[in-house]
Amino acid sequence: MDEINRRLSNCFRIVFPDLPESDIGAAKQSTLREWDSVTTIALVNVVEEEFGIQLDLDYLGELDSFEAIAEHLKTAHSLS
Amino acid sequence: MKLTDAIKIMNQGPADGIPFPVTLACGFSPLHVQTFLAAQLQKTLPERKIRVQTGLYGNLAGTIEGMIPPESQAAAIVLEWPDLDPRLGYRQTGGWGPSDLADILVHSERMLQRLEAAIQRIPSSIKVALCLPTLALPPVFFTPGWQASEAEMRLCRGLLVFAANIASLPNAAIVSRQQLDEVSDPATRFDLKSELFIGIPYTLSHSYQVAAALGRLIQPFAPKKGLITDLDDTLWKGIVGEIGPDRVAWDLDSHNQIHGLYQQILRALAEQGVLVAIASKNDPGVVAKALERQDILISSDKMFPVEVHWNAKSGSVERILSAWNIGADSVVFVDDSPMELAEVKATHPGMECLLFPKSDYATAAKFLRQLRDLFGKSKVTAEDAIRLDSIRQSAALQQMVEEGGSPPEAFLAEMKARITLDFQGAGADPRVLELVNKTNQFNLNGRRYTESDWSRNLDDPNNFVVSVAYDDKFGPLGKIAVLRGKRIDRVLHIAAWVMSCRAFARRIEFQCLRVLFEHFDAEAISFDFIPTPKNGPVQEFFAGLSDEKPVTAVRLDRKTFDSRRPALHHTVTTNLEPIAI
Repeated sequence: MDEINRRLSNCFRIVFPDLPESDIGAAKQSTLREWDSVTTIALVNVVEEEFGIQLDLDYLGELDSFEAIAEHLKTAHSLS
Repeated sequence: MKLTDAIKIMNQGPADGIPFPVTLACGFSPLHVQTFLAAQLQKTLPERKIRVQTGLYGNLAGTIEGMIPPESQAAAIVLEWPDLDPRLGYRQTGGWGPSDLADILVHSERMLQRLEAAIQRIPSSIKVALCLPTLALPPVFFTPGWQASEAEMRLCRGLLVFAANIASLPNAAIVSRQQLDEVSDPATRFDLKSELFIGIPYTLSHSYQVAAALGRLIQPFAPKKGLITDLDDTLWKGIVGEIGPDRVAWDLDSHNQIHGLYQQILRALAEQGVLVAIASKNDPGVVAKALERQDILISSDKMFPVEVHWNAKSGSVERILSAWNIGADSVVFVDDSPMELAEVKATHPGMECLLFPKSDYATAAKFLRQLRDLFGKSKVTAEDAIRLDSIRQSAALQQMVEEGGSPPEAFLAEMKARITLDFQGAGADPRVLELVNKTNQFNLNGRRYTESDWSRNLDDPNNFVVSVAYDDKFGPLGKIAVLRGKRIDRVLHIAAWVMSCRAFARRIEFQCLRVLFEHFDAEAISFDFIPTPKNGPVQEFFAGLSDEKPVTAVRLDRKTFDSRRPALHHTVTTNLEPIAI
């Protein structure tokens, strides 16, 4: 697991404390009952705090899975 | 506090704790305020299960009117300008022209009246914490931004009248705008994109500050009870032993006003019931002359005890605490000497020790306000005004006990003591709950209650709350004891029993039980006793009736009590006829 995924996993653990460790990498809004639009906002803010960045709210609708957020961090914020 | 920390605190709350439900009424998306408020309350109430429920988006009045369940401990209300009229926000485009202003004002005024009526209907057992608008008004007025228009002033006047009316409610408190401005920069509070995209107008940091302020109103810190002050270069400028009582100063003309302001706030604190004492390394005779000066702003009779000698200040503090009969963690010590502060702190680590800022004016302004914060309370009661006199009486009585083992029987008989037990109004008396929540020593079990917890089930006719007031020929002590219990057949079950340490050594505790036995014709009283590190006096009381210190609940039958209690010399008044069972 690379550094971004490791730190992003921490964010998911905080926002979804009941999510099994093994399910974090595959977490999706469409399949995770606790992940609603309000949780997305909380998750985005926790990610912002963890990485010290400001996520653009224009992309909020696209940040709907662990994989999508990780990809967004790498491409839009040049994190590695 | 970061959002991450807040969520962690929330997640760590006890799943099986007693619920502490709070309703957050907020016209915008409450997400972050909700999270931070829950975390703030969880920190102050770690054993409770905090639950912050929210209401209707965009309908603040509707939430207050219909969505605050009676079991709520508190209602946190966050008011913003669009709650008064949507045209005062950014999410609707109803008009910002001069022709709209009159209607905006009328609509806002009506909404404030509706909100006020809704808040007044909230049951008194639910604490209300209100935050007035914290964001800048949008550019709705035709004047340039640096000019306050008549319409804006009229809007603000309506808001302040509303706020003053809410502040007068016994269960309501309002966030201080002034203090919020200090911790949350007004220029960085608003996030327009967040408001338009997700309905959250507050930045994260502002959400936290608003939530923290509301949380402090819902669950306030316990105010400190006493202040011990140094004299030289603290209460006054100068070393009195060197320059003499006439030349120490605290006035504006000599540029020593900072000491005058300190005296002024000490006097104000004394008037609101804070105990003030002196600990000074000095010549007692010289100090006495300085304290007799006519221009001193706090008279010497407002300060007790006065410890003036050349011995260590930690010893002075020890004796003052003993006379006051309160713990070091309830007291603030003020001195201009870091060394003296360190010496006292080493002996009393729980005490708040503050350096008097004798030449640092920026710090001095903060220091004066810090004193207000440390001793601040929502209401000043009649008992606050007589606290110092009763402490003096208790100290004299205590000295008699120490010298002779106990007050002579004849002395007690001649005190003309009167005890008044109020069975009717005590449940709703805020002084009663205050006494229950701040008394440590004579406290049956150390249990603390929120206003909502306390008022629950009081309408059950078998439950009772009794407040006890005392006075004697030396003056009144005011309300000094509270009992709360339930009658089941001929047994009384006491859940809470506290008595102020000011009332010790007067046999009031025995008289209280005698009256309960008689009033309810009870054959026994069971006490929900739990030993705590501080409730030694209760343990001693029960040990005196049963020859051993209790470790758990206590049951006392009437025959045992009558045979072992001492003679009682009080005149007793109650406001209920005896109940026949």
